[in-house]
Amino acid sequence: MRVILAEDSTLLREGLVRLLADEGHEVVAALGDAVTLLEEVEEHRPDIVVADIRMPPTHTDEGLRAAVEIRDRFPEVGVLVLSQHVERNYAAQLLASNAERVGYLLKDRVAQVEEFLDALERIHGGGAAIDPEVVRQLLVRTTHGDPLARLTPRERSVLEALGQGYTNSAIAGKLHLSLSSVEKNLNAVFDKLDLPHATGYNRRILAVLRYLES
Amino acid sequence: MREDLTAAASHGVAGTLGAPDPEDDRSAAPPPPRRRRGPGVLLGCATALLGSLCFLVAGAALGPFLLWPRTRPDALRVLMAGARRLAALERLRRAVFFGDRFPEHYTASDRKILRYLAVRCCSGLLCAVVTGLLGFGAVLAGLLVLGVARGSIGWDDLLTQVVLGGVLLFLDVQGLYSLAALDARTARECFGPSERELLRQRIDELAASRAAVVRAVDAERRRIERDLHDGVQQRLVALAMLLGRARRSRDPERADALLRQAHEESQGVLTELREVAWRVYPSALDSLGLKEALGGVAARCGIPLRVDFQVGAPLPEPVETAAYFVVSEAVTNAAKHSSATAMEVRVALTGARLTVRVEDNGEGGADPAGSGLAGLRDRVAALDGVLHIDSPLGGPTTISAELPCA
Repeated sequence: MRVILAEDSTLLREGLVRLLADEGHEVVAALGDAVTLLEEVEEHRPDIVVADIRMPPTHTDEGLRAAVEIRDRFPEVGVLVLSQHVERNYAAQLLASNAERVGYLLKDRVAQVEEFLDALERIHGGGAAIDPEVVRQLLVRTTHGDPLARLTPRERSVLEALGQGYTNSAIAGKLHLSLSSVEKNLNAVFDKLDLPHATGYNRRILAVLRYLES
Repeated sequence: MREDLTAAASHGVAGTLGAPDPEDDRSAAPPPPRRRRGPGVLLGCATALLGSLCFLVAGAALGPFLLWPRTRPDALRVLMAGARRLAALERLRRAVFFGDRFPEHYTASDRKILRYLAVRCCSGLLCAVVTGLLGFGAVLAGLLVLGVARGSIGWDDLLTQVVLGGVLLFLDVQGLYSLAALDARTARECFGPSERELLRQRIDELAASRAAVVRAVDAERRRIERDLHDGVQQRLVALAMLLGRARRSRDPERADALLRQAHEESQGVLTELREVAWRVYPSALDSLGLKEALGGVAARCGIPLRVDFQVGAPLPEPVETAAYFVVSEAVTNAAKHSSATAMEVRVALTGARLTVRVEDNGEGGADPAGSGLAGLRDRVAALDGVLHIDSPLGGPTTISAELPCA
């Protein structure tokens, strides 16, 4: 696939370029800030943009702002943002409208090369990749009478995987279950959490994330 | 004004609180010898008598006018003009005989002046009485000695007289001391800020510097977080990526090359980590002391740096740390922004004050409000020190800190 990178650390940017080249992907542009990112996207129309959230000049959220704008203007381009810490509201901003061709990963996740490449593939395939840490933090709620407490451990892990953006068949592969058992577990989860049985797994991801954030 | 207050403070209550007095060792005249104090006290009795007479005369002459509303303002003005002259005379007496230094531009209110003169007249007259009693006692003692010499006084009588005289002498001297102290205190309160004002000012200073300490700590933490993220973490991620690529590579030679690269990178991470830890707190400061730690700064600095270290006594730990950070921050700043080609650091202990001075030959224009320098100012202020930044456009830049080591 064709990729544009925006990452201010030279070391990391070079590393990513090499890694993607190793895997046979083409990096059409590698930038050190978000200033010219939109122009580059408009010119090259890549399959996917990987952008760090915190970049010069202000080191706050320029990467995220650029990513949101790319989603609005070029819906066919996939966007993966890398974050220093889990920032729920950044993730929420990114997933505001839909969970297609979008990813939110912790920067450290890049160190786990396979997971990073897998996330790229999922986004490229029209799916989503939400960092397990984000989902884990959303799941950590032990208030009294919390419906999450009623889930079995198996149902919890299925929910976690769905929140991260895996499809039913990918969840089955990940957790070594049959597809029908995954579906059964998910239905149980949706019932217990009073979630609408939405069709299309993107909508289901959003439903899950919204539910967890509420 | 600020320095005037401090000067006053050195004799006032803040002096006992350990307030810094930057003027103390430069512009201050040496205090007058103690033998001048006796005449000063006697003169005080005379001026009190004069003041009382003046008030009596003025009161008698101006009394009717003061009661009449229409003439009251004018009468008051005349009265106050006289009172201020008397007060000025007292001020001069305190300055000449007791070495008091009052702030130049401090003007007391009318009420303060009148109250002072009232207290001053009473205490001065009382002082005259007490001094008179001392003289009377001396005459009695003389008579006693004469009586003993003639043999006209028995031992039991002598013993009673000596004991009684001793007690009375003690009381009299105690009274004199108290009156002298009262004289000093009332003068200070009238001609300079009162103890309450000084205390309030000191409390304001402390509150400000306490807030500044918290600010400085937060700024440091932000810097450390940035250091860790932008340095160490990025390097570790890059290292992990190299290892990941090596693992995925199907060509053994290529994998080997990647591993070698990863190994080198891991050395880089270690260096980076050491640098960050050093910037957080230079451990050499604890183990080897300030001089060695500054040597470390000179060794790390890319610009030739000369360190002149003139400290003959052990320094308090907070002072050492602050001095170190003043130097390291100034040197870092100069290396980053000033394009200097040579720097000089001078650390000297004179009396109970450590002076740290960093000079470079760069192009100047350092911003005192910049985060680094503002943090330094806060750090120095927390120790009651002062930081001076002199950096005209075109250079040279001099950053100096004065830290009390009390």
